[in-house]
Amino acid sequence: MILATMIKLLPSKPVYAHCDVPCGIYDPRSAQIAAATVLKMVQKLKELQKPEDDDWMEYKNSMTRMILTKEEHAQKCKEELLILWTDYFKSEHLKKYPELHDTFWKAAKLCSQNKQHVDEEMANQLVTAVDSIADIFTATKKA
Amino acid sequence: MFPTLKPKQDVLVWCWFNTYKVGDIVVFQKNGKNTIKRIQYLHDRTVFVLGDNPGESTDSRHFGEVDIKDVVGKVIYIVRTK
Repeated sequence: MILATMIKLLPSKPVYAHCDVPCGIYDPRSAQIAAATVLKMVQKLKELQKPEDDDWMEYKNSMTRMILTKEEHAQKCKEELLILWTDYFKSEHLKKYPELHDTFWKAAKLCSQNKQHVDEEMANQLVTAVDSIADIFTATKKA
Repeated sequence: MFPTLKPKQDVLVWCWFNTYKVGDIVVFQKNGKNTIKRIQYLHDRTVFVLGDNPGESTDSRHFGEVDIKDVVGKVIYIVRTK
């Protein structure tokens, strides 16, 4: 506590963990993998069989792990989309793809909705939304 | 450098008579900015640095090894955030 206070009194300079240099290293693949994982977890949750005997432990363990994985990858998908949306895409892309903001907004919403629900149709919508963003990304790279 | 470091967190950097080793968090000059990463390996007079959040990090995988003369110092204390 005393050391922390003393450190705060020293002259300081900012250091950067993120390079802030437009490095051009972006890839929608991470978001696509995360979305596919969400869909897979939803499918596996739907396939889970309730135990016929009293051995609920395995069932609950599997369900919990699948839900946690779904949650983690829905969040990961949202974060990856945010990076693409805020760091990669520029105003000139918006001119050519005026649906861009709406596409991202809906995809981000689907990430949250897939956390809240176990719905295969919803998970498929997320995969489709992320794939459409990836298609736009690829098209802008070729331009 | 998440989760090791978070935005606006204070670190104490020792800048004199340093010897560096793998695992040290170091500050180095890159494109005119003080940049902070962790040493993954050392080679002769250069260090290969990696961010603790490699999925999001821009580091030696992208900009190559850092010359030892560009290393400002190493982190010796991280002030805990609330």
